[in-house]
Amino acid sequence: MITCGMDLGTQRVKVVVLKDGKVVGRAQGFSGFDPTKAAEKAVSDALKEANLTMSDVKHFSATGSAVDMAPYANSTVSMMGADAKAGVFLVPAARTIIDVGAEEARALKCDEKGIMVDFVVNERCAAGAGAFIEAMSRALEVKLEEMGPLSLKAERASPINASCVIFGESDVVSLIHRQESKPEIARAVFDAMADRVSSMIHRLGVNPEVVLVGGVAKDVGFVASLNRKLGLSVVIPEYPDYVGALGAALTAASRAAKEAQ
Amino acid sequence: MKNKSVENKYLPEVPRKEIDELKNTVKTASQKIIADNIARMKKADSHRPEAMKYFDDIADLFGQRQEEIQAEKEKGKKVIGYLCLFAPTELIMAADAIPVRVNSGWYDTSKLGDRIVPVEVCPVIRSTIGAKMIELSPFLEKSDALISVLTCDGMTKLSEILGDAKTIWGMNIPRIKDSTQSLRFWSDEIKHMKDQIEKFTGNKITRKSLKEAIEVSHRATKAFRRLQELRKGPPVIMGRDAMLVNQAYVWDDKVRWTEKTEALCDELDKRVANKDWVCPPDTPRVMVTGTPMFWPDNWKLPTLVEEASPKGIIVADEQCSGERILNDPIGVDEWSMDDMLKAISERYLMASTCPCFTSEDGNEDRINWLLNKVKEWNIQGVIYYVVRGCMLYAMEYTRVKKALDKINVPVYYLDTEYTREDVGQMKTRVEAFLEMLTARVDF
Repeated sequence: MITCGMDLGTQRVKVVVLKDGKVVGRAQGFSGFDPTKAAEKAVSDALKEANLTMSDVKHFSATGSAVDMAPYANSTVSMMGADAKAGVFLVPAARTIIDVGAEEARALKCDEKGIMVDFVVNERCAAGAGAFIEAMSRALEVKLEEMGPLSLKAERASPINASCVIFGESDVVSLIHRQESKPEIARAVFDAMADRVSSMIHRLGVNPEVVLVGGVAKDVGFVASLNRKLGLSVVIPEYPDYVGALGAALTAASRAAKEAQ
Repeated sequence: MKNKSVENKYLPEVPRKEIDELKNTVKTASQKIIADNIARMKKADSHRPEAMKYFDDIADLFGQRQEEIQAEKEKGKKVIGYLCLFAPTELIMAADAIPVRVNSGWYDTSKLGDRIVPVEVCPVIRSTIGAKMIELSPFLEKSDALISVLTCDGMTKLSEILGDAKTIWGMNIPRIKDSTQSLRFWSDEIKHMKDQIEKFTGNKITRKSLKEAIEVSHRATKAFRRLQELRKGPPVIMGRDAMLVNQAYVWDDKVRWTEKTEALCDELDKRVANKDWVCPPDTPRVMVTGTPMFWPDNWKLPTLVEEASPKGIIVADEQCSGERILNDPIGVDEWSMDDMLKAISERYLMASTCPCFTSEDGNEDRINWLLNKVKEWNIQGVIYYVVRGCMLYAMEYTRVKKALDKINVPVYYLDTEYTREDVGQMKTRVEAFLEMLTARVDF
């Protein structure tokens, strides 16, 4: 059976094509100003990779912050529900799943079936999420993808406040004025984010395995800070940015199976 | 009226022209919101009870009810506004005055309040200040005096700020509930308030008039409890409808409200007999607790829950804008003046689950209320609703969550502001929560 899942996020749209429990196609692109169009393009790319067409797709599920704009969707699933489903699919021992995306950080607790039992979302500010790294990389005049490796070179930690992107930025500026080195400032940024995310997780209780997904999971600097903060090693599945889309595709598969009954 | 020769402590002198312009803009927007809320409530239930028609009309804060109050005022009656549920409305009624609650649910006026206090302050407070600044609220404007009970920090300073424009009577509430000295202290406050109301209205509160007022309250509580009982079973009324009925009590005529609520219950009884449910009986049953949600603008959470996909239904709440208004009767033993005053003191202090209280066991009464509701009303999930700046509710969350975790009932902490712009984000969260409640069926 072939199903499709889409995660239409604030920055990127991700699509996964699933055939009998195996990923056979995936594609992504910027959501941009016309998310529906971007989504259509990603779907056609993913199907092309899988050598399939839309008529092969039994059920299409969508998730993500722009889910209402998702084309083709037969049903929707919440971002947290999708994360739980895919997290446990990829890492069966996963009981805590952290999803750090561009604008939002989420943490959820799930059971062995991949059913979410509790969740928290960061407060109405992107300081714990990817957009924070982006803003800070601009302040440091380094490329976004260089932030992580740079931070690993830091010799010590200098605390900043990440209660808010704007205030965080002014803290970074004062570190610059104190002539702190770039690696140390980069580490300060990740430490501050990890602080925010770990206090979210502590509200749920830390239940291993802890799995980290979402685009920011690809950032080595954030991962190092979070591991230090939590005192454990988070598990990062392959393609962490596609986990939401995979969760939607898996949900589509269960729903299609249920419909067939 | 206040002596205007005294300089304002807080409120700025806003030019008349600006007041009128702002008032018109916000009033027009608000009337649209009231109409929209009601239209959506009608849409949610294709055969809404006939009796709701009355409450739809009374829900227009700029309509019939404020005209009635104006007419009574012109006949010489005093209007006594209040900001907290601790204000003893029976004493107001017994002095032949009209009690009306004046907390603001208008989002737009909270931005005006920002001119006086920082944005970190609770939006209920900022919005009430803003409403006063542009004379928006018919009930607040018509109030001849206000009772402000010093519960949270916001309320305490709000009464000072409103004191610039209105005669305001503060009531000191003890923070430790279960002690004899607290009750003694509060009883003195109640007695003092009785004297103040008598002096202000020129009407003596007699044994007879107080007994009558308490009986009015008793009948209202009885009607309200009947409505709540009906919400225990499979859903027979949308949560929003019941919540509107509940909240309208604070500005409506109490006797008429009771009749109309009984009529609604009669109608609902028939529906129960016919198993005529308002939504599928397996719709997740939600309880809301936390910061009060005032009509009309702050209706976004109940609207979201009952229009979400998957949909939920609110069957109970633990809020001072909701069930707490009428849940507890005044327990009078002997109808002597002393005994009635004692009963009023006890009812207002002991029955409250407001987080401004603590005791040896913390705010144990609130936990017990929640656990009892979960059990009796068969609640599947609790939404803990907090507006930014509402410190006491925010802080008590941890304890509530622990108590609910123990009985395996999911609770979600939803924080928001007096704004319409975050509805999208809230929807994501509410839908994820409702999906979680239905997950075992859906996946």
